[in-house]
Amino acid sequence: MTALQEVPAQDAAAPAGVRREALYFALRNGKLLTGFGIVLALLLLGLLGPLFLSGTGSEYGTQPMQPPSAEHWFGTTTFGQDVFTQFVYGLRTTFVVGALGGGIAAVIAMLVGFVAGYRGGLVDEILNMFTNIVLVIPTLAVLLIINAYLGVRSVGAQALFIGLTSWPWAARAIRAQTFSLRTRDFVDLARLSGANTWKVITREIAPNMSSYLFMTFILLFGGSVLIASSLDFIGLGPTEGTSLGLMLQNANQWSAMQLGMWWWFIPPGAGITAIVGSLYVANVGLDEVFNPKLRET
Amino acid sequence: MRNRVRITIPLLAAGLLAAACTSGGQTPAGQASPGGSAPAANQANPNSLPRNETLYTSGTQWGPPANFNPVREWDYATGTEGLVYESLFHFDPNTSKLVPWLAESGAWSDDKTYEIKLRQGVTWSDGKPFTAKDVVFTLELGKMETVPYHNIWEWIEKAEAVDDQTVKVTFSKSNYQEWDFQLYGRAIVPQHVWEGRSEQEVLDGKNENPIGTGAYKYMSHDQDRVVWQRRDDWWGKTVLKMEPKPKYIVDIVNSSNEVAMGLLLQKGMDLSNNFLPGAANLVKGNFGISTYYPEAPYMLSANTAFLVLNTTKKPMDDPAFRKALANSIDTKKIVEGVYGNLVKPASPTGLLPQWEQFVDQSVVSQNGFSFDTAKAKKLLSDAGYRDRDGDGFVENKDGSKISLNLIVPSGWTDWMESIRVIAASAKESGINVTTDFPDFNALVDKRSKGDFDMLINNERQLSNTPWTYYDYMFQLPVQKTQNTVNFGRYENKKVWELVQQLDQVKSDDTEGMKKVISEIQKIHLEEMPIIPLWYNGLWSQVSGAAWKNWPSSAEGAPKTAPTMWRNWLELGGFETLTQLQPAAS
Amino acid sequence: MRRYFGRKLLVYGLTFFVAVTVNWMIPRFMPGDPVSSMVARTGASNPAAAETMRVYYTNLFGFDQPLWKQYVNFWAALFQGDFGISIWVFPTPVSEVILGAVPYTLGLMIPSVLLSWVVGNWFGAYAARRKVLDNTLLPVGYVLTAMPYMWLAVLLAWGLGVVAGWFPVAGGYSFSMQPSWSWDFILDLLHHWVLPFSSLFLVALGGWAIGMRNMIIYELESDYSNYLAALGAPQRLIRRYAFRNAVLPQITGLALQLGVLVAGALVTEIVFSYPGLGSLILKAIQNQDFFLLQGAFLFIVLGVLIANFIIDIVYVVVDPRTRAGMAGAAA
Repeated sequence: MTALQEVPAQDAAAPAGVRREALYFALRNGKLLTGFGIVLALLLLGLLGPLFLSGTGSEYGTQPMQPPSAEHWFGTTTFGQDVFTQFVYGLRTTFVVGALGGGIAAVIAMLVGFVAGYRGGLVDEILNMFTNIVLVIPTLAVLLIINAYLGVRSVGAQALFIGLTSWPWAARAIRAQTFSLRTRDFVDLARLSGANTWKVITREIAPNMSSYLFMTFILLFGGSVLIASSLDFIGLGPTEGTSLGLMLQNANQWSAMQLGMWWWFIPPGAGITAIVGSLYVANVGLDEVFNPKLRET
Repeated sequence: MRNRVRITIPLLAAGLLAAACTSGGQTPAGQASPGGSAPAANQANPNSLPRNETLYTSGTQWGPPANFNPVREWDYATGTEGLVYESLFHFDPNTSKLVPWLAESGAWSDDKTYEIKLRQGVTWSDGKPFTAKDVVFTLELGKMETVPYHNIWEWIEKAEAVDDQTVKVTFSKSNYQEWDFQLYGRAIVPQHVWEGRSEQEVLDGKNENPIGTGAYKYMSHDQDRVVWQRRDDWWGKTVLKMEPKPKYIVDIVNSSNEVAMGLLLQKGMDLSNNFLPGAANLVKGNFGISTYYPEAPYMLSANTAFLVLNTTKKPMDDPAFRKALANSIDTKKIVEGVYGNLVKPASPTGLLPQWEQFVDQSVVSQNGFSFDTAKAKKLLSDAGYRDRDGDGFVENKDGSKISLNLIVPSGWTDWMESIRVIAASAKESGINVTTDFPDFNALVDKRSKGDFDMLINNERQLSNTPWTYYDYMFQLPVQKTQNTVNFGRYENKKVWELVQQLDQVKSDDTEGMKKVISEIQKIHLEEMPIIPLWYNGLWSQVSGAAWKNWPSSAEGAPKTAPTMWRNWLELGGFETLTQLQPAAS
Repeated sequence: MRRYFGRKLLVYGLTFFVAVTVNWMIPRFMPGDPVSSMVARTGASNPAAAETMRVYYTNLFGFDQPLWKQYVNFWAALFQGDFGISIWVFPTPVSEVILGAVPYTLGLMIPSVLLSWVVGNWFGAYAARRKVLDNTLLPVGYVLTAMPYMWLAVLLAWGLGVVAGWFPVAGGYSFSMQPSWSWDFILDLLHHWVLPFSSLFLVALGGWAIGMRNMIIYELESDYSNYLAALGAPQRLIRRYAFRNAVLPQITGLALQLGVLVAGALVTEIVFSYPGLGSLILKAIQNQDFFLLQGAFLFIVLGVLIANFIIDIVYVVVDPRTRAGMAGAAA
């Protein structure tokens, strides 16, 4: 998984022109279009697919272990369940986990990063220590509490857990960015005019690194999807419904590959790879759009 | 560049897919190559076991071999009892007879006295002779409260060594059935080694380098395996004219079923006692893997999966409701859909096929149940369970909603699928059943405290007598925690008296047993506190790569149990080892 | 210099303290009672015996003591290297179980992390701003880094293990071998190591290559590069400077990624049933083995902290600015 690099903050130029320019380059950036195109296609499939499908993919069918055909696009499982239907529903869950988990992590990372970077001093010191601690604590232990102690194993709980544990690197990155913005003239100006910390952060600092924040969120989104699939795979996934990770776990537990049912094992993994990989590619594209120096010459 | 990236990524993904597809193929026939990891590669190495003399097994041990202590019957390393420690008798499920083993014979000299004659010339692996004192010592170990067979001293008065070859056991209450179970189930330990061990050592000791009378001795172990080496001075070679063929037995610790399947396909394993989903495909495909039967149900039956109802909770305290529930379950769908016919639907009595003679067919035809949604609905409404609020589910007689939670351990995939079927078919009949998959330990906790609605359990195995099943179903009194029996907390003094009565029927008195069992069955089917669902198989997939003459239903093949499961080596598992032949010969 | 490391050590010390406390707390809030499940597993047919055993085990594990005392005892025992007795592998001490697994995990982690980092950075740096390479390597890198570890692991196990038969699919060494210091055994170990190593290596490789590629482009576009280019410095020299600067964030990135890499090793070990800490943790979770879980987590925390500290040192050695800054601070 790629972490966002701690690069020096970009110049905060006049916003309106920049936006129009960004859009111009965005529409001409192959990486961005490919990446978002694939993600969007899969998202639409997840959103709209169920409308055209009967059942949720958990019903037993009469034709077990069938290879892909016109009737079953991705074949069927050991129990005759339709793999394509499962895949479509799995996409939904995967996007929910990514958006929720990535979102929660981004919010925490921004709070910690902004405050630590802007205030500096003791506050920075404490928050930094906190970040470091969360960074090394094995996340699985925390999951056990959520999973076993609360007895909840819903998609939401999983996303919450991922969000609560995957923010540290992002917080560090945002802190570094904030740090370098803090000494800029316009921030000084705002501070001198009596704006409080919250105002300075939301009005001055955050908007000036919005592209950076968006890219951070994308990476957190992709990371959440991968972590969720790992959790699903080791049996700590949601108990109701299906996700791409659960499909992988199921296919593996029922020895799909060994029994020659590649159509059960390949699609969920390929789906995850496609989502996460496309997001990463789109991220690089975004970077190029927002950072004129990186554009192809 | 922009264009190229757009094309390259999908192309690459497609390429990966295509590669996987083509190499996968429609039928994964004959894909395992014997080379590679196959242990045959380096025979010259003294640290490496020769493939043609080694048997690789798996399916018993789910954690590292932690101890070699036969008292810890639930987690000793595979083979500790059976390969190293032996029992006085074995039991042959095909003939339902005890087979003399360490004992030459045993008989009741009167109603309260059992006399055991031991064989001559049996020695422990340290060279000391095996005598009657060892047998008495082993039985008396049970006087320690924490030893699992402590309860025999509730009905045994004393055990004494008359001479070196004779043991006399005097009973205060003659539990013939249970005593037979002890005769073949109890591993005899050497007095001269175990003497002086504290209660803690007996219960918790690792007992490294075990000294037994058996055909194998300890060679080595690691986190993921235990290795046994044959004793060429084993007494049975001359006395029983038997010799287990593999010089080494390596039992591999299970990490998961799919890993076991991988090893089996790579020919790195000979006997897998794992539940392997899709075993039917393995047998039918060209993999060189076989099971006991060449077609459904593929396996011998080993135990019964029961639906345990918590009879202390409403509405499961009502026999009418329980019977309706029994009728609502589509067992056929589980057998076919989930297991692909690897298991068989159970008789309404739950008694294994091996005990078929004890099933009273007239009782079954009168009181038995079968999947019948209409009948289940009728039984429900007759008993006053009706859908009053129109949500499709029946309510209690007082109008309160019924919602029953059915649990199995998380990760037990076949059971997880099975209870989904049960819940769905119960809903058809109007009973709202939900499913949940707690961790195994959390489930055990709930189960022992009675803090559950319904669960599935199959912990009792085939044995010498149906009494062990009925003990499991009806044992009284109900304790604060129920650890091994009567999880449903069903209290019926009459049936428990009958079970105790059954225990005191002589084990050769089949007619006497049938009479009592018929009465028990009548109560069981009328009251239905526990619902038999299907017979779990004696999971066993064997590879002919290194060893042949595996037990099977084919003519001329051995008919013993092909298994290394705990307590099954005495039920024919050991005899299987003696009949193997190297594949090369 | 001393102040810099002093502060770092303080942070790590505190982290360790919190980690230990959390580690101690978490298992104790779990539902289910390990003693009762152990007793249930014993299959004691006699309820009275079961009760006796319950009391016995409760005493043994110290669950009957007040919580604060359990906590103090936990620390005291920790300093004596005593992590308690495993429930899952009863009655083996936890430290023994873990020490048996640690070499496998380290043997898997250290080479895969270091090699993927070195090779990935090299590839990335080389590919940056070189059109053909960039357009071929980059997509491969993205696909690799976006793959779920276990998906690649299962595909490798199936393709190279079951179908091709080149590599074993399970275990740390052949089931026919006895551990010894012979070449046969070492070769056998390596043979079993290849597949799990490869899946970890490949996934991580993609991430580093992409990170480096992007960093190099940043550096090549920075003012000093343009300045050098304007002065007519050779491209090779500029690239060398760019690489030096780009490698620093990659070192920090390594520290940040350690947790993720550990998680990756865990699932990979599970797929190959490789006898390392990952398989151990899974078993500990499944068997509610408090002590084993705590021990394993503590080892991971310690490992990650030590690795962080080493990275700190390396960073100081590599980055001249940090060195100069510290010299100034000390003066």
